[in-house]
Amino acid sequence: MRFTKLRWLAATSAAVVALACIGAQAAPPRYGGTLHVKLRVASVSLDPREWTPGSLPAAASEKLASLVYDRLFTLDDHAKFQPALATDWSHDTSGRIWQFKLRSGVRLSDGSLLTSADVVASLQSSLGKTFEVSAAENGVAIRAAHPAPDLLERLASGAHFIVRREAGGALLGTGPFFVVESIAAAPSEANPTAIKPAKIKFQANEGSWSGRPFVDFVEVTLGEPPLRQLLDLQVGKADIAEIAPDLVRKGRQEGLRIWNSAPQTLVALRFDDAFDTPASDQLRKALWLALDRDTMANVLLQREAQPADSLLPQWLSGYAFLFESPMNLQRARELRAAFPAGAPGATQPLRLRVDAPGDLYKLMGERVAVNARQANLMVQAALPPASASSSPALAPGLHLIAWHYDSLSPQAELEAFVKQLLGGAELPANTTDPEQLFAQERRLLEDRHILPLVLLPEYAGVRANVHNWNASPWGDWRLADVWLDSEDPMTTKTPARPQKNSFTARSPGARP
Amino acid sequence: MQSFGKNHSKMVRAQFLFARVLLPLAVWAGISCFSRPALADGDVTLRETAQKLAERVSTIPGLHGVLRLEWHPDANWSEGESARWQEVLRGEFEKRTLSLTEDAGAPALDVFAAETPTQVVLTAKTRISERDEVRIVAVTRSLLPSGLPPVAPVRLGRQMIYQSADRILDASSLGNSEDEGLAILLYRNFEIVVLRVDLKSAVKETVSLHPANVKPSRDPRAELTMRGSSVWVLLPDRVCEFSWGAPGEVKCRAEKPPPADKFDWRGQTLLTSPCDGSSWKLLNSGSEPNAREVLQVVPDGVMQETSAAVLSEFPGPIVGTNGERNPSSALVIARNLRTGNYEIYKITLACGN
Repeated sequence: MRFTKLRWLAATSAAVVALACIGAQAAPPRYGGTLHVKLRVASVSLDPREWTPGSLPAAASEKLASLVYDRLFTLDDHAKFQPALATDWSHDTSGRIWQFKLRSGVRLSDGSLLTSADVVASLQSSLGKTFEVSAAENGVAIRAAHPAPDLLERLASGAHFIVRREAGGALLGTGPFFVVESIAAAPSEANPTAIKPAKIKFQANEGSWSGRPFVDFVEVTLGEPPLRQLLDLQVGKADIAEIAPDLVRKGRQEGLRIWNSAPQTLVALRFDDAFDTPASDQLRKALWLALDRDTMANVLLQREAQPADSLLPQWLSGYAFLFESPMNLQRARELRAAFPAGAPGATQPLRLRVDAPGDLYKLMGERVAVNARQANLMVQAALPPASASSSPALAPGLHLIAWHYDSLSPQAELEAFVKQLLGGAELPANTTDPEQLFAQERRLLEDRHILPLVLLPEYAGVRANVHNWNASPWGDWRLADVWLDSEDPMTTKTPARPQKNSFTARSPGARP
Repeated sequence: MQSFGKNHSKMVRAQFLFARVLLPLAVWAGISCFSRPALADGDVTLRETAQKLAERVSTIPGLHGVLRLEWHPDANWSEGESARWQEVLRGEFEKRTLSLTEDAGAPALDVFAAETPTQVVLTAKTRISERDEVRIVAVTRSLLPSGLPPVAPVRLGRQMIYQSADRILDASSLGNSEDEGLAILLYRNFEIVVLRVDLKSAVKETVSLHPANVKPSRDPRAELTMRGSSVWVLLPDRVCEFSWGAPGEVKCRAEKPPPADKFDWRGQTLLTSPCDGSSWKLLNSGSEPNAREVLQVVPDGVMQETSAAVLSEFPGPIVGTNGERNPSSALVIARNLRTGNYEIYKITLACGN
């Protein structure tokens, strides 16, 4: 068992240097105000158990969950794990048994103390059956079925928040904010044909163990159209808003400050299980050779995306550059010519269902159909059916999907990808060796059940009045560190800052 | 007997010479020639990672003959960091009888380095009989030496110029002339006092702010600013002003809103390199009261941990820094943990390593 005191020391030093740098900024930080945030998704859940791995709503939910919950630790931008609810950790030489010392005296948003039982329950739920989580002296112990040298990466990302579940279903966290108001989307009173978007309001947690956040409130509006969000940024109705990749150029031209993450979303084609036959190999290969990823990234997405040749992005795996997807229409046509009569994609069209939401993905689906046609393949793009009880005759053969990377562990990400998209298959244990992980990913790509198209970064417009914006490359916005430099006219009606430790005034429920 | 005695004494002298001089010299020479300097943990990790990759590459079936090493470092790495990795990798490949050449016609062994959020991933790729062979290893980034290699185009000179058993809150140099000395702000017997000292540390003038109704405070924040002949003292709740030669006329006024909420304190201390005019900033935490502290001087614009950082360890926590009239110098106030004294150092950037 090797205690990592040096890591703790390094983490503390880094935090102190960061604080020193913050303190040395020219403009003094300011407490107060309401931060107005606009997200594209129409609904979120602050219950990590409800998140579908890799989905875009889960990614937005995770972003908001980080306001109200904490993890055991975080990863900084310099590859160092920083203590959060855990102050120290150690593991045995095999990496199977881990021990975490918990920070003492941490309170949940209702004022009660966080217990090791809360941590055990949260992590057992999020880690699943291959990990056994138990309470230990001053902390928790995690025993993995297989060596898990990437456990820290797993726990510092994804759904591994520490959440207390009350008997009534309410969720409590220790984060820098708590939910004070949640309004569902509803028809507008003035114009019943229009829908008022859903809103969630978060209030600063005065007793937060990590320090009170600078802003008093974060008000999040969900589901507004991308162009509307851009307009809201320009007129000051939003301080931070997601920007669709196809609007980034417009935003830049209009002088907006635009931040982008490392590529966070993989757009790909996924074949149904029905195409898991040797006879379908030629179809999958022909379509793979017909796809013009460069045009999708550079023309359709105006250079705001990257052509994708791999399942995991380069920033996460470090080896993605080894994969190539050369377009070869001639070879694709040759393969198509050899199809048997009546094969899907030959005389009967292959139905492509655009599962990812939004016009952008629809356009990409249409582009795939154009590429396929160039190789004499018949692909027909269609939006998903309105109801789940659609006729089996309309079942698609191909899906256009968007996969959001949730984990900082490449192995965990690939595991989730395979489990979610490839029928529950599991990766062999101990693929944390990068060479084995590469071999596994190469095998998946060579099967061609998933054809990567493009990688999209996350884009956000940030108004000039937002200071100390220091989002991580993997998309953690760190809103507790953000401060506003002046009282926004929209925030003048907000109530005064609550009294310290006024826990009784709070709504304990974190579920919007 | 005499001759025996002479021979014997020669032998004794020879044995003495061998035992006391030549043998230790030989041992020293042996150690010097064959040992390497002790490696830091990070260096060991780097070398072990390179060894692991070299071992995997050496087991590629059919790999023989002379290879051309093509090195592709991470785009964010400094030249020094990249060169260090390349040097170690080359050494490890050659140890495993992989012959490397610069000949452009030789088959390529491409080695790529890429940083992920937590790791450095090294990938070796070569082509053997129409097939690509790939070997990959990874290492935790935080285990690698930070700031590789510790080379900077400047060095740091340091000289202690004053010490006191009283708590020194701040210090500032007086004027351009070398012999004008220092103004020192300190907390003595629950009073805030300003001293004017010459270069020999002799106190020339003492001004107490107590008569101006400055109350004792536990708040250590206080700053001195020279404005012509006036001395300004910024405290958390007020600003005081006086002139040398008229110590009885200290004027203080409350600041509204209080500076404690304004964060209106001195900004980053910057030094200018005398070599190329580049700006360097001082990074210190001052937050750990019982630890020796390492001052980092890093190029401006770098948050922390850079290969170009110049480090200087102080005998205790650094409690403050202040620029000097000479832009390549600064004052550093540190508390000596052994003696309990507060010490003022003058640090100066100079050219070269």
